[in-house]
Amino acid sequence: MGGRPLENVVTVEPEGLREAVEHQVKRGYGHLVTITGVDAGEKIRVLYHLSSLSGDMTHLEVSVPKKVGASLPTIADVIPGSLFYEMEVRDLFGVRFEGNPWEAYRYPLPETYPRDATPPLWKEAENEKVREIIWRDGDALGQIQTSAEGVSVPFGPYHPALKEPEHFRLIVDGETVVDVIPRLGYVHRGIEKIAERRTYLKNVYLFERVCGICSFIHTYTYVLAAESVAKVEPSRRAEWLRTLVAELERVHSHLLWIGLVGYWMGFDTMFMWLWGVREKVMDVLEIVCGNRVMKGFATIGGTVRDVTDSQLEQVKRALREIEKQASDVMERILSFDLFIHRTRGFGEFDVETARRMCAVGPYRRITGDPYDIRKVEPYGAYQELGFEPITEKRADAYHSVLVRLKETMQSIEMCRRIAEELPAGAAVPQRFYMASPQPGEAVARTEAPRGELFYFIKSAGKPTPDRVKVRTPSLANMLLAATLLRGATLSDVPIIFTMIDPCFSCTDRVLVYDVRTRTARMLREEDFIKMSRKRWASCE
Amino acid sequence: MGLGDLNRYIKKSLWLFHFNASSCNGCDIEIVAALTPRFDAERFGALLVPSPRHADALVVTGSVNRLSVDALRQIYSQMPEPKVVIAVGACACSGGVFHDCYNVIGGVDKVIPVDVYVPGCAVKPEAIIKALGLVAGVKSEKRKRGKARPIVVEA
Repeated sequence: MGGRPLENVVTVEPEGLREAVEHQVKRGYGHLVTITGVDAGEKIRVLYHLSSLSGDMTHLEVSVPKKVGASLPTIADVIPGSLFYEMEVRDLFGVRFEGNPWEAYRYPLPETYPRDATPPLWKEAENEKVREIIWRDGDALGQIQTSAEGVSVPFGPYHPALKEPEHFRLIVDGETVVDVIPRLGYVHRGIEKIAERRTYLKNVYLFERVCGICSFIHTYTYVLAAESVAKVEPSRRAEWLRTLVAELERVHSHLLWIGLVGYWMGFDTMFMWLWGVREKVMDVLEIVCGNRVMKGFATIGGTVRDVTDSQLEQVKRALREIEKQASDVMERILSFDLFIHRTRGFGEFDVETARRMCAVGPYRRITGDPYDIRKVEPYGAYQELGFEPITEKRADAYHSVLVRLKETMQSIEMCRRIAEELPAGAAVPQRFYMASPQPGEAVARTEAPRGELFYFIKSAGKPTPDRVKVRTPSLANMLLAATLLRGATLSDVPIIFTMIDPCFSCTDRVLVYDVRTRTARMLREEDFIKMSRKRWASCE
Repeated sequence: MGLGDLNRYIKKSLWLFHFNASSCNGCDIEIVAALTPRFDAERFGALLVPSPRHADALVVTGSVNRLSVDALRQIYSQMPEPKVVIAVGACACSGGVFHDCYNVIGGVDKVIPVDVYVPGCAVKPEAIIKALGLVAGVKSEKRKRGKARPIVVEA
């Protein structure tokens, strides 16, 4: 499984869209994975990928005429989690969603690209032409209109312990956050456009670079979808090896994140401990893949390299050590009162909210919802390994650390079993995939460290894909995190944001607009940390 | 103690400001890895600072996109003289795999002058530490002659 052809497609008319979505939600298909736009020549096809909690997918297809300003009704009131997906289709395909509350904001394009210009993902939009328009002079960020006067917001400074830059506008009343408006797009590069002019094999290399933390799972998911389109089967050994690397990546990613939670709280020792342990995981990755960050391991039809028995022995030895060190560090952290005081009860939400916002990954599993793609739609070796998802009973910052901790231990155990029971055979394909697959469409879903990762590939029978769509887990979780901030105090903002394990870097300079004093002041990341530490001290 | 003495003492303790210009995080986490226990660049005095006004060197990762370009210029202008810029990673050096994306202008040197290029995808922490070792030389050369030739770190 994993990658599969696009099946269960229900074609609906634009007028019947909302009704169809409501019907699907009632049937249990309430999880909106994403909305994909596809240029179909005369028309724009808009696909709503809906999933049930047991892993079946159904796809609603709507066609609109190919002209800028063609419109569809929004479904944001039926599934609130659709906000960003609708904005993305609007910016990249020019389809307007009537009634979307964030219609005024851009995502992911900068403001310099006019709304009436040819949308970048149309086939007739030339890459160079789009670039020329985007790079014209002007205000790229644009004004963000809030209920108070809009103020233009500079962003930065950046900070390295955090990752990509994103901009959030927080509107506060005293210390309490009243409203949050995210402005994403600082890391938008236009990968989906250039993927259309590179071959399937070259795209493996390209999609690895969507994210530098979960780089392997991106190639893995892309490869699963491409294998489904190209009708190539990997060997069983290759499936197991890919699972091994995916789980190692989860271990390193979770340790990295738990370390960052410590950093955000002002608990730097915890940060250093966990990053120290993480280096051992990087060693194992280096043994298996030959690289630390960009693994370059998966390819269409198998893996790029195989492991020898002596390497497997090294891996097993290292895993034993990692397990010991990790559990040691964790035990110390969890027995530390201040840590518990500072995380327990912060950013609480319930399973219904998580479902409505279409949250994914560990962030969703803390509510007790066992929604894990490894279980509901097993791929790789998970079925054979008998994987069971880990859930928690209460959704707050403390339990989001706890669930990732348990997952880390579970993943280490899984890696150990894979190293012991690795099936014999060849993992590397006879030759790399250079052909043109038959026309067709496929989707693939996997469980990345941060949650469900989704790829859609459309082949038109050419050596290059006709369309590749990526939906990363952080985007799915962003909306819930933004919602949770309403009502929180400023000192809790970093902790609540980090809960989703965001793959964006900073809330580091947000403009704080005080409703009472009607003044705007700039908060930088160090102010946040200072506030968070003050709060920490008051726990003592 | 005059300013000259001070310069002598702080010459080798680098304060860095890190800027993510639309990086994939690969190089960013390697920079953090270079600062954490295994590699520990802090033993050479390297420290990350949260403000460009305190920084000796600007460390840029990732290719430059439309939203980050204005911020990059602004942050560069806020740094004290002599400014040193380190481009970490293939994307920051030349645009890398994203060089032809519509929202990417290319490497950092399209926007601001770069002094040290550290190629690699992702750059290894060892290479980052090696680059930091070169900055002191670049800085003193800039102080003496007002300019320095760009260096490429061979990893």
